[in-house]
Amino acid sequence: MAKLRILYETGEPEKVIEFDPAQAPFQHDGQPGSILDVMLGHGVDLEHACGGNCACTTCHVIVKSSMAHLSENSETEDDLLDKAPGLTPTSRLGCQAVIEDSEDGEVVVLVPRYTINQQV
Amino acid sequence: MAVSNSSRVTYEATIERIFQHNLDTRSFFLRLLSDQQLTWKAGQFLSLLLPIAGETLIRPYSIASSPEEGNLLEICLNLVPAGPGSHYLFARTVGETLRFTGPWGTFVFDQPPPAECVFIADGTGIAPIRPMIRRALASGRQPPLQLLYSALQGADLLYRQDWEAYAQTCSWFSFTPLLSNPPSGWSGLPDSLAEYVERRYVSEDSDRSRHFYICGVGQQVTQLRDLLRRAGYQRRAVQYEKW
Ligand SMILES: Cc1cc2nc3c(=O)[nH]c(=O)nc-3n(C[C@H](O)[C@H](O)[C@H](O)COP(=O)(O)OP(=O)(O)OC[C@H]3O[C@@H](n4cnc5c(N)ncnc54)[C@H](O)[C@@H]3O)c2cc1C
Ligand code: FES
Repeated sequence: MAKLRILYETGEPEKVIEFDPAQAPFQHDGQPGSILDVMLGHGVDLEHACGGNCACTTCHVIVKSSMAHLSENSETEDDLLDKAPGLTPTSRLGCQAVIEDSEDGEVVVLVPRYTINQQV
Repeated sequence: MAVSNSSRVTYEATIERIFQHNLDTRSFFLRLLSDQQLTWKAGQFLSLLLPIAGETLIRPYSIASSPEEGNLLEICLNLVPAGPGSHYLFARTVGETLRFTGPWGTFVFDQPPPAECVFIADGTGIAPIRPMIRRALASGRQPPLQLLYSALQGADLLYRQDWEAYAQTCSWFSFTPLLSNPPSGWSGLPDSLAEYVERRYVSEDSDRSRHFYICGVGQQVTQLRDLLRRAGYQRRAVQYEKW
């Protein structure tokens, strides 16, 4: 079983999801097994305005630990992140970052306050 | 199943008109209901919220009309085999209502860059490019603008008359159609999109100041991106949207 801990910049209580990565996809948006897939599939909301198609940046999350357990960024993800508000060195798109394995530790992500990039 | 508790605005629009471009491509003209206003930038898209099989599916569609045209929004799409979203939309009729969020997207063309602009579209990938070109043309004389537009066959070259008319009236705009399945006697270019781009913008000269805006379905978009960036074009001068 893998573990995803979600913290919120708004101060909302954190959430923890335990899941079996082999069961992915958990629903239909984003890459199977991605942070977005795991969250939506376990009833935890995350903005995903483009439906998980790597086209909007609203699923932006900041990885706080276990970056190594996530799939590598593609150039398309990096190009889009480049335009995300509040970009940090550990920013990822929730719909693209796949949790590959976190047996030996949990993946911790922070959902920024403003994930919406409505007007560029 | 996930429940969205998002506070973002959901718009509603009535389908005012449907235009059939060819066998499997239609434009839907959406009139925003009453007091709603939408401002967007050329290149942005709407995320349609489609009620299908007891769920809400999100399907993004680029706004093919121009921001200056006001609240009659055009989206232009083709039917995708076994695709639930496009089949749902193709079953809609005039007078029905659609819901969506937006505008979204960072593939935008706001101020024309001070360099030659090359727009590359494949099929319905012309949708976000169309307002970009109209915007670029409206800004008056400037460095050259080129549209390189590929499609399966002639009937799939959308808004073709507009492109031909612009090429006639604006000396700084050129239109290059490419067909991957040309009829016999087709006098256009024989190359594939990648071959043409390689020859014209990589091998033929050493100018690397151009800006590119690329849109289409699948890997061909990222392949063109990689080709151009590897050839020395600036990363941010190669903008694209892959569907
Ligand atoms: C930012 C963005 C903007 C978009 N704008 C448009 C638009 O203006 N017009 C439009 O027709 N589509 C557009 N699309 C694609 C659209 O959102 C849907 O993916 C498409 O209509 C297929 O949905 P579906 O439910 O019918 O099929 P699905 O079952 O969801 O289709 C799945 C497959 O079809 C491929 N696909 C996506 N679009 C097309 C297409 N047009 N032709 C052939 N294959 C396709 C996808 O890559 C995917 O592999 C856009 C996608 C994105 C990410
Ligand atoms: S949901 Fe749009 S980029 Fe991830």
